[in-house]
Amino acid sequence: MEIGKRIADIILMPIVAFVIGLFMVLMLRKIAAKLQRRVGPPFFQPLIDIIKFYSKTTQVSHGLLHDIGIIMAVGGYLAAESLLPVPGMDGLSDKGGIITLTYFLMIPSLGLALGVGQCANPNGSIGISRALTAMLAYDIPFVIVIFGVAWHYGTTDLSEMISLQQAQGWGAFEMPLLALAGLFALQGMMGKQPFEIYVAPAEIATGPMVEMGGKYMGGLFVMQCFQLYTAGVLYTTLFLGGGTHWLDFLIKIFAVVAIPMMIAFTFPRYRTEDMLRLMWKWPVLAGLLGIAFVMY
Amino acid sequence: MSLLDALLLTALGTLIATLATVRTRWVGYVASLGLGLQLLVLFLLAPLGYGAPAVTSGLAWDLFGQPLVLRYDAMSWYFALITLGAGLVSSVYATGAWSDHYRAAGRSPGWLQFALALNVFTMLLLLASGDFLSLFIAWELVSWASFLLMALAAGPALKWSLRYITYATAGAMSMLAALGIVFHLTGSLNYADFMAAVDQWSVGLITLLTVLFGAGFAVKMGILPFHLWQAGAYAETPGPGMAFLGAISSRMGLYGMMLVWVQLIGLIRLIEVHIPLTFLSLRDVLMWIAAFTIILPTYTALKQNDARRLLAWHGIGQGGYMLMGILSASALGSAGGILHIFNYATNQAVLLLAVFAVVYRTGTADLNKLGGLFTRMPLTFVAMLVGIIGLAGIPPMNGFVSKWMVYRSLLSEGMPLLFVASVIGTLGTILSVYKLIHNTFLGQLRLEHEPVQEAPWSMVIPMMVLALIIFLTGFMPGIVLDWVAAVQAAVGLPVLPHTLGGVADAHGGLDMIMLVLVLFAGFGVSALLFYATGRSEPVHQLDNYAGGHFLSADVRYHYSDHFYAGLMHRIGHWYRGSFLWFESVVASLASFLAQWSATFYRLMQPALPMLAMAVIVLWMVS
Repeated sequence: MEIGKRIADIILMPIVAFVIGLFMVLMLRKIAAKLQRRVGPPFFQPLIDIIKFYSKTTQVSHGLLHDIGIIMAVGGYLAAESLLPVPGMDGLSDKGGIITLTYFLMIPSLGLALGVGQCANPNGSIGISRALTAMLAYDIPFVIVIFGVAWHYGTTDLSEMISLQQAQGWGAFEMPLLALAGLFALQGMMGKQPFEIYVAPAEIATGPMVEMGGKYMGGLFVMQCFQLYTAGVLYTTLFLGGGTHWLDFLIKIFAVVAIPMMIAFTFPRYRTEDMLRLMWKWPVLAGLLGIAFVMY
Repeated sequence: MSLLDALLLTALGTLIATLATVRTRWVGYVASLGLGLQLLVLFLLAPLGYGAPAVTSGLAWDLFGQPLVLRYDAMSWYFALITLGAGLVSSVYATGAWSDHYRAAGRSPGWLQFALALNVFTMLLLLASGDFLSLFIAWELVSWASFLLMALAAGPALKWSLRYITYATAGAMSMLAALGIVFHLTGSLNYADFMAAVDQWSVGLITLLTVLFGAGFAVKMGILPFHLWQAGAYAETPGPGMAFLGAISSRMGLYGMMLVWVQLIGLIRLIEVHIPLTFLSLRDVLMWIAAFTIILPTYTALKQNDARRLLAWHGIGQGGYMLMGILSASALGSAGGILHIFNYATNQAVLLLAVFAVVYRTGTADLNKLGGLFTRMPLTFVAMLVGIIGLAGIPPMNGFVSKWMVYRSLLSEGMPLLFVASVIGTLGTILSVYKLIHNTFLGQLRLEHEPVQEAPWSMVIPMMVLALIIFLTGFMPGIVLDWVAAVQAAVGLPVLPHTLGGVADAHGGLDMIMLVLVLFAGFGVSALLFYATGRSEPVHQLDNYAGGHFLSADVRYHYSDHFYAGLMHRIGHWYRGSFLWFESVVASLASFLAQWSATFYRLMQPALPMLAMAVIVLWMVS
């Protein structure tokens, strides 16, 4: 790949991700509204929210590390997006495959954890303790899925996986059990109901966001856009054959995010230990069975 | 005289010079200078690290008719580099402000420096051993040198170091048995004769030798179930001593395993050995032991409330990654395992130095009695942050590269359960190191820590140097991978083709240079976005949302104890101390057998103890 195209990709991919992520947030709110028989927010509401957060006059900083945490959270995602191939743009996907991406996605979490820790609010620390525990819960089925898929396609390179699927059919049909386990893990990864106790959006005083306001909250909002987009694209890449062109790609990624949202808003919440039990039981079983089918 | 002689003589000279100045204030400088000189000589030997033929020492002599051979090859050079690096950093750290503090506590920094120099010397000697006899002699010297360093602090350290030496002696006996078998079969203790004979040996014999040698090395390495001594013994060692032991000392066991299992017996032979009634080969069993060595100690670390214990337990767990990578026998996996020795040594050293800088300033390593030190000790914080990112294996630090290589090889070799096991270990590490940095540097600053200042420069500089190495070798892993490739060639493993940025592979490689550049570009854009949008107003940490209460400095609200309450609710009852139980069973059994046989002798052969007593009395009288 020539260098100019690569640089253009690296610059464009996060921008695209952000814009699509905004639409995903909008969709999420619309779905929630429909399920709760409300009208829901207007079209530009997510963008307006971000602008509002960033332009608040009161911006409370709990020290340098609080700032750095937010910078790491957003910056980590900006970099990670260039590892996720989309139609027409491969970015850095050949320089680090699915394993690298998984670990890149931990950088924003680490940044957030450092920033929240610096705030010296025990409620924030409790939130981080729960968030890391949740990560331990959903990452185990997730790495099982990664193993199965990468073994099946004989590569960790995401763009190669896409072209293989476009030649021989979607991963979801070849590895239905892994696709199911992946969907389960995805639900936990997005931090939505019933696994949202660590975010605790409904009772802000007991989650990581407790000391976040203004552009700090804005940074987390941007991070959420990237998070939704990453989850959707990653699942589409692993199981739904990526995208041949933007239209079918967008349909797929929005569908992938919509399904967990529909489930989410009709469910109550699990406690942390129940989430561990659930995640370590069914998706792990399905994933291991899936690997057994793929390998033997 | 070859350069190897120069290296060993410099090490011996350092030892003597340290001993000569042991009571003076200059001892730290003398020891650091000596170690620096040794490192310099090692750099002159650098061609070894790029695949030059082995260097033999001119200092050769016979013992019991066996020629003792001293030689350095690529593997010896690689381990020696880490040993001397860790030794130098620890020695510099222990000089200056830290030594005054240590002396004020009534201890002798001189003996600490001497014990460090002795450890370095014996380890360099072990790495030079070119036959089984010198290997065994040097192995014993290393064991006793570590014992000296561990026992220096007296008190509880003595109990733990005795536990270590008990384990080490048992391991040495196991090695001695293996040596006896080898000598009986080949009539010599040369590596060459062993390698020539090994092809004809039966599966049973290979298994026996693998296990006997392995048990000896596994004790040093802290492989399950021989790990119980390590965390306690290391944690009680004085600061820089612990950093040295934690970084490299236990890897001598891995050196032995690589030498005997990989170079002399050959992993192919281990793969050929099938365990009856299972579908596993001997190699698979060893890999599973490595997997349990990753998981169980890592989750034990998660429960520790003492920073030193926490890191010591991680040291045991990280050893599992190295062993697993090497046993995978593929070019990528074994390179990952060997690379992890270097990466882990840098990470563990910087973490322990940072912890001891905190201990130096606050007097405690108890994770429930610290907090909020970021504002007081920012450089130490940076050192610890770099260390935890590396230890947890998150980009952009070097620990990620070696772990990535291990994962990637388990993936391409088709070992799903081992892959999942190693990721479970990494996740546990992330949880545990976050607790470490959170409880130490984040959250509420205690009232009594208000006047705390940054650690002195003599301690900060070694930490910064290590942090820089961690970042640079993560950014350009090819620097170390050159040496790793030479080690692979020396022990007969397939050699990994690599680039400066990592690994080129058509089906998913790694290029850290690009990735790190893009990561920092991301941080840059994000920082621009953050700082360009309005000024934020810094507030005091007590200016905090506290649910309607006013906070004051005397109220302790730092969330530190029982940090992962939710997780422990689920897995807490899985900790059963089974290994401790097993250890006590073995100890009781041994003591019972000893008493029983003593009684047996007294009853059946009353003349024998009397004869022995008579001989002793006569000898004392004469």
